[in-house]
Amino acid sequence: MSSPSERTEPLQQAESSTLPTGVIHDLGYRPYGGPRLGEGPVAWSFFKTGLRNTYGLGRSARSKVLPMILLGLMLLPALILVGVLVQARNLLDLDEQIVAYSTYPLTTQLLISVFVASQAPALISRDLRFRTITLYLARPMRRAAYVLVRLASLTAATFLLIGAPLLLMYVGGLLADLPPGRETGRFLGAIVGAALLAACLSGLAALVAAFTIRRGLAVTAVIVVLLVSYTVVSTIQGIALEAGHDVVGEVAGLFSPYTLINGLQVYLFDSPDATPTPPTSDAMGILYVAATALTVLGSIGGLLLRYRKVQS
Amino acid sequence: MSEMLSPTIVRLGVRSIFGRWRGALLFVLPLVLIALSILVRALVGQDATGAEHTLYGLGLVVIVPLVALLATSGLLAPEIDDGSISYLLAKPISRYTIVASKLLVAAACIVVFAAVPVLLAGLVLRTDDLGFGLGFGLGALAGGIAYCAVFAMLSVMTRHAVVIGLIYLLVWEGLLGGLLDGVRWLSVTRWSAELVDRVAGLELVDDLPLAYAVPALALVIVAGAWQTGRRLRAFNLTGDE
Amino acid sequence: MSEIRIDHVSRWYRNVVAVNDVTMTIGPGVTGLLGPNGAGKSTLIAMMSGFLAPSTGTVTLDGEPLWRNEQVYRKLGLVPEREALFDYLTGRQFVVANAELHGLADPGAAAQRAIALIEMTDAQDREISTYSKGMRQRIKMASALVHDPAVLLLDEPFNGMDPRQRMHLMELLRTMGAEGRTVLFSSHILEEVEQVARQIEVVVAGRHAASGDFGAIRRLMTDRPNRFVLRTSDDRLMASVLLADASVRGARLRSEGGIELEASDFGRFSEVLPRLARAHAVRLHEVTPTDESLESVFSYLVAQ
Repeated sequence: MSSPSERTEPLQQAESSTLPTGVIHDLGYRPYGGPRLGEGPVAWSFFKTGLRNTYGLGRSARSKVLPMILLGLMLLPALILVGVLVQARNLLDLDEQIVAYSTYPLTTQLLISVFVASQAPALISRDLRFRTITLYLARPMRRAAYVLVRLASLTAATFLLIGAPLLLMYVGGLLADLPPGRETGRFLGAIVGAALLAACLSGLAALVAAFTIRRGLAVTAVIVVLLVSYTVVSTIQGIALEAGHDVVGEVAGLFSPYTLINGLQVYLFDSPDATPTPPTSDAMGILYVAATALTVLGSIGGLLLRYRKVQS
Repeated sequence: MSEMLSPTIVRLGVRSIFGRWRGALLFVLPLVLIALSILVRALVGQDATGAEHTLYGLGLVVIVPLVALLATSGLLAPEIDDGSISYLLAKPISRYTIVASKLLVAAACIVVFAAVPVLLAGLVLRTDDLGFGLGFGLGALAGGIAYCAVFAMLSVMTRHAVVIGLIYLLVWEGLLGGLLDGVRWLSVTRWSAELVDRVAGLELVDDLPLAYAVPALALVIVAGAWQTGRRLRAFNLTGDE
Repeated sequence: MSEIRIDHVSRWYRNVVAVNDVTMTIGPGVTGLLGPNGAGKSTLIAMMSGFLAPSTGTVTLDGEPLWRNEQVYRKLGLVPEREALFDYLTGRQFVVANAELHGLADPGAAAQRAIALIEMTDAQDREISTYSKGMRQRIKMASALVHDPAVLLLDEPFNGMDPRQRMHLMELLRTMGAEGRTVLFSSHILEEVEQVARQIEVVVAGRHAASGDFGAIRRLMTDRPNRFVLRTSDDRLMASVLLADASVRGARLRSEGGIELEASDFGRFSEVLPRLARAHAVRLHEVTPTDESLESVFSYLVAQ
């Protein structure tokens, strides 16, 4: 019901044959005319947001529970080991870390697997399931950039999870007067291993999560892939060692990221063996390097292909 | 139409379980087990420890619970999640009938994708000892159905049933079960391992009487199914997400 | 003839009160449950469907409680709002499955009848995943009607329907109501409720704001003026005469002819108008109430 005062008077003006006029009032809406950042800063801020989201920062309190618990559980054994090292070093006559840097991720692999399995769907599957990906693709960031940045966020988050206890052990080692040069070398080697492990795990998990869009199914599928592959590989390695067919065990080690990266570290940095049959020959070592590269690059490629098919 | 089971729900369950990737995973898991068994047999012949390691470490501890999780969560969780379970609940059917019908499909999946493959793997690994494969197959069957009941109960109690189920499997049964012996009193895997011990004459689990393990399994199955039915009777489903 | 009785029902969850002491009776015929989003309509329908228990109070169908009572579904048909269906089934298979679950003697025939009723016979053998939104709504209706229920509950049934489908559904609901079934549907769109239901229940912020015939409700609000448009043979004379009467609050001559009138006392006005017209020899061509519509009832109630 409009009151007469707001209406214009078209009938009177029809005599002077002018068109009816109208007015749009300025309610304060202003288009943005200032400088716009390019794709680089957009990708960087997207990366940061993704990384924070994996630890629940910037999301509800409930989503912080699992990642923080996992981080705490990852640090706890390292803390205990450092405590024992510092306190009882002379008593127990220790001159190196109780658990080697490169072995630690293998021991705590369940925690790492659960982390990757629960966070990959949160980063990847959610956008696909609820179609919010169309909002992302309508922005300046290109499709390939979206995929790579998401993967980078997941990799960085996993790297933090794997690397934090290693850092703790390193600092503890220095405090316990372990030789700094040697420890630093080992630590850096382990960090490289942690980064590669994070890349492999994240790549696989992201690939699985991008295909199985339902969250529950994605989590299960990632766990299945990581857990079953490790159990199968370790069984084969154990039996191969006993049967004397070491090569079979070494080849089997290619098929689980944990054994793959550990084997890589044994070959490249001479880290202590954590698997029954690590690579012994140069040929096998090169194969391990190639397999790592293939895993990482292959999952990136697979993801890019998968997202090419997503309609925006 | 029989009182305790609904053929319609069984039919619907069978169709829904093979949706998308769930079906692929259900086929892949037993294939991996059988492939590994063939590989082990090729590597070491009929070796008792190797065979035991394979069927227990991979089969009973990993494959069977994961098949149960995949099957059961596929039958209940998606329907609860998107609300289509209201079509099953808004009918004059006893809730226990609904649960029983779905668990029947889950049990059939256990048989096809867990128990029989474990039996076959056992036969591949130890053709000289039929009791070996048989024992593990039986343990897989009992343990698998018990897991189905547990996961069914989780599915109707929480929306995060799959994650909680996985954490239970990995932390309780896997991590703690490997470290602490006391866990065996409350662990489905250990109970089914005891069953395997008796039939196949092994020593997978120490100091766990059969008289405890078998009733415990039965109790979990019955109690889990009953509790699931109870929860469905008082199921909240509002129109909004 | 079935009746749903809601008696002093409240439903709360932690700090939020979704439904606040609502008492209403839904009888045979078509009733519209009206209210803005978040008013508690879905909560009420969930309680009437037996999928939610009231925190206090009782919800009964012909005296039987709806919570924890599977047998009541023999009389109850539900059309939920959620879109998810058994996508891998065809339309026919879905309705037949529903018929079988109801324990009907001839599920196939019942399904065919229901599908014909919602005019989906041509598409029944396609998978539900290929259906449009409107088709999904219709197949949901078929599943709710297949067992010939005495009570039909629909949660926002017109969502996503195009005008033709909407008209068809309205016709269907009217037919159901005329057959003596108890039909309740919820909506926040006034035109829909207006065209199908004469009996409305208005729910605002969890409270039961109004109930009954919407015209009657309108008339109850006497402190807000009624508006009319009059077309007469002599507008100016009529307007000046009417302004002299106490029941008229304002009159305005429209530039396109006719009088816009505000009356504060409808009863007196409706009595006075013909008398005055005859007394002054003015012919009344048209007398139209301009806001006897749900819109004004609604916006009035919502503006509280």
